[in-house]
Amino acid sequence: MSNDIHAEQHSDAPKLFRKGGKLDKLYPLWEAGDTFLKTPGIVTKKAPHVRDAVDLKRVMIFVVIALLPCLCMGIYNVGYQILLAQNLPVDFGKTMMLGASKVLPIIIVTYAAGGFWEALFAIIRRHEINEGFLVTGILFALTLPPTIPLWQAAVGISFGVVFGKEIFGGTGMNVFNPALVARAFVFFAYPAQMAGSAVWVALDGYTRATPLGVLKDTSAARGTNPVELLAQNGYDFHNMFTGLIPGSIGETSTIACIMGLVFLLVTGVASWRVMAGCAMGLLGMATVFFLTSGPSQPAIFALPPYWHLAIGGFAFGAVFMATDPVSSAATNAGRWIYGILIGALVCLIRLVNPAYPEGVMLSILFMNIFAPLIDHFVIESKIAKRMKKFKASAVSAKA
Amino acid sequence: MAEFHIRKGKNIKLKGAAARELRAADAPSQIAVMPDDFKGLKLKAVVKSGDEVKIGTAVLADKYHPDVRVVSPVSGKITAVNRGDKRALLDVVITPDQKNSKESFPVFSENQIKNLSAEDIKKHLMHGGLWTVIRQRPFTKIANPQAAPKAVFIHAMSTEPLAADVDFVLQGREKEFQAGLDALSQLSPKTYLCISARAVSKALTQAKNVEVHRFSGAHPSGNVGTHIHCVNPINKGEAVWFVETQDVVRIGKLFLEGVYSGERIVAVTGEGARDRAYFKTMVGAPVKGLLKGSDLKGRRVISGSVMAGRAVGEGGHLRWFDSQMTVIPEGGKRELLGWLWPGFNKYSLSRTYASSLIGLTNQEVSLNTDRNGSPRAIVLNHMYDDLITLDVPTYFLIKAISIGNIEECERLGIYECDEEDFALCSFACPSKTDVGGIIRDGLDMIEREM
Repeated sequence: MSNDIHAEQHSDAPKLFRKGGKLDKLYPLWEAGDTFLKTPGIVTKKAPHVRDAVDLKRVMIFVVIALLPCLCMGIYNVGYQILLAQNLPVDFGKTMMLGASKVLPIIIVTYAAGGFWEALFAIIRRHEINEGFLVTGILFALTLPPTIPLWQAAVGISFGVVFGKEIFGGTGMNVFNPALVARAFVFFAYPAQMAGSAVWVALDGYTRATPLGVLKDTSAARGTNPVELLAQNGYDFHNMFTGLIPGSIGETSTIACIMGLVFLLVTGVASWRVMAGCAMGLLGMATVFFLTSGPSQPAIFALPPYWHLAIGGFAFGAVFMATDPVSSAATNAGRWIYGILIGALVCLIRLVNPAYPEGVMLSILFMNIFAPLIDHFVIESKIAKRMKKFKASAVSAKA
Repeated sequence: MAEFHIRKGKNIKLKGAAARELRAADAPSQIAVMPDDFKGLKLKAVVKSGDEVKIGTAVLADKYHPDVRVVSPVSGKITAVNRGDKRALLDVVITPDQKNSKESFPVFSENQIKNLSAEDIKKHLMHGGLWTVIRQRPFTKIANPQAAPKAVFIHAMSTEPLAADVDFVLQGREKEFQAGLDALSQLSPKTYLCISARAVSKALTQAKNVEVHRFSGAHPSGNVGTHIHCVNPINKGEAVWFVETQDVVRIGKLFLEGVYSGERIVAVTGEGARDRAYFKTMVGAPVKGLLKGSDLKGRRVISGSVMAGRAVGEGGHLRWFDSQMTVIPEGGKRELLGWLWPGFNKYSLSRTYASSLIGLTNQEVSLNTDRNGSPRAIVLNHMYDDLITLDVPTYFLIKAISIGNIEECERLGIYECDEEDFALCSFACPSKTDVGGIIRDGLDMIEREM
């Protein structure tokens, strides 16, 4: 199904990039730039003679647009946290400038490094440059702490694009979400820059634990009220929902994620089944723990279940990461199962795992592995139903 | 009789419907007989340039079943036998002489038809040049006369954009239609007549000797693939046959009057055609005669519908199974930053254009042949299954086909599938994947292995 981009060269292409031209190998680069500026204007060859107006470029750019609230909120919050830590007055323009000075370099570096690999593989494999890297690049950047060294961001996205996507055959063939592969790589390779309490505010020497870090802290007495524990550290539902708390750049604000979610659902770009499944899984599992919470259990068990939706990277992961159609389950029933298991796993990692405070990234990657298996069972049950129908009709035909 | 309401799919309401007026087209200046129309046959020319033929004289015959033949719809002279690469036969061109001399075939009364055996019916159909209107599923090819199908489907409705109205084309042909049904119903244990829930013609609603089923809902609820799936689905090793409405009429004429009829009523449609109406003409007639007065520059002339037809060009001919011509504007205009604009006038089944806010997909629209994007790997794999009426997981079938896993294809139900049933998937895919073409490749692959 791979399309050799050189097989269908655009008649507007300059000689230099065409077959036999000096730079014909770079045709994918020319094509990417050209079709970015203008629609390809190529007509159908056979039936169906007419086609839908939507193309993958628009779909991918719509995902990027859906991420804009998270990006803007992230930029503001990065600046806000720095000013807050220094007890300086918060002025909107200044805050945005300060945040942008921290966040934009990370995004530029991920796009440059990710785009380089995407283009290189496109040229070698003679296929088109896929707009998906626009999504992968920004998704990855938004999951990083604002203090990440730029070279680590570059190494991370390189690993994600090459080992998360290209070695499987490129866009559409990947087993894992490439942005999460990139993040997981950085997370395990450079834990000092990716976890703890010193990395979430872009101010040297300043430490402040994230809400999940606070709850995970083993020194917290068993049976403590988790809501009070958070309040002692300056966290309440309101600021976690709006996202004015330390954390990864784009993940802190639940409300920004909801704005993206609404946009994705209105435009029909992402699967609501996955998102609904994630929320159900998380709420269900959290309710089970909530009901068993008591003085002998860790404090976090007693967190009201709905708080889990606003805390940590769950909203971001459920809306933007789990819904990646390529690495998620591809059947409708499978999407429900996939989503529910992600939500349940997130809760398990948060509540009963001793090592990691947050489990969204690991849950989604883990379920990425299982997505084909889930699909397999869904398809097999479909086939079994079909065979049953044929057997029944064969019997009735004989009778 | 059963009623099936199809909930999936989508009607694309194109501008340029044919007016419900029947006109006689000018007598065709020439007729082309094209072997390409008869998938599954290996046709040889049995005439040569300069031969005189009558209405009903054999022009092509199958190499393996010489009794299966294609006959001339007119009397006249063979003016060309055109060949392409490796001497493959392209078409045989016949120039009519207006004498209308006919080969004569046996005549039967309505009651006699009902008493004919299946073998007799087959023999008369082959002899009379109408065996080739019967196609087989799976593989959508001309039926093998030696096979025993489990059922015959009469395809008497269409939901293709701007399709000819079956009620209308049957007017005045009710008797021949019923005679055709009587003949076809001898061929298999079951004969199903699949009609639209809105059909009013008594020839359809009160047809005898067949099991009538009614279908409603959006395209492709009118596809024969949908009907077979709902009424009597195909499993491995099974086959059904199907016949189009107007061909049933031709079969009726052959038996009742003993003459071969090449008559075809064609709906000339599409915003590029000037005179949009129903025309009485012949299979193989040049499209030029049907599109008189239409400016065809920058237009695409399609024999059939925009979803399943074939571009034949200005000099092309009406194809064997088509009862519709569509003329639409060619696309190819490049737009600046197309991915950016809200697009109030962009037709899309997705909701990524502002046009979805004003419900453009439910209005009459003008579409051109622009592909509206470049091919990409499949990313949005969830959209296909809402656009087909078969119970087949499209994305998984595509994957099974592309790795050549025939067993998996069979398990997923490829024998129920045909290219045209997936036309809406190809239409709507943002990655511009030719889903129907992949299904066709899969079927071809399986046929080669058999």
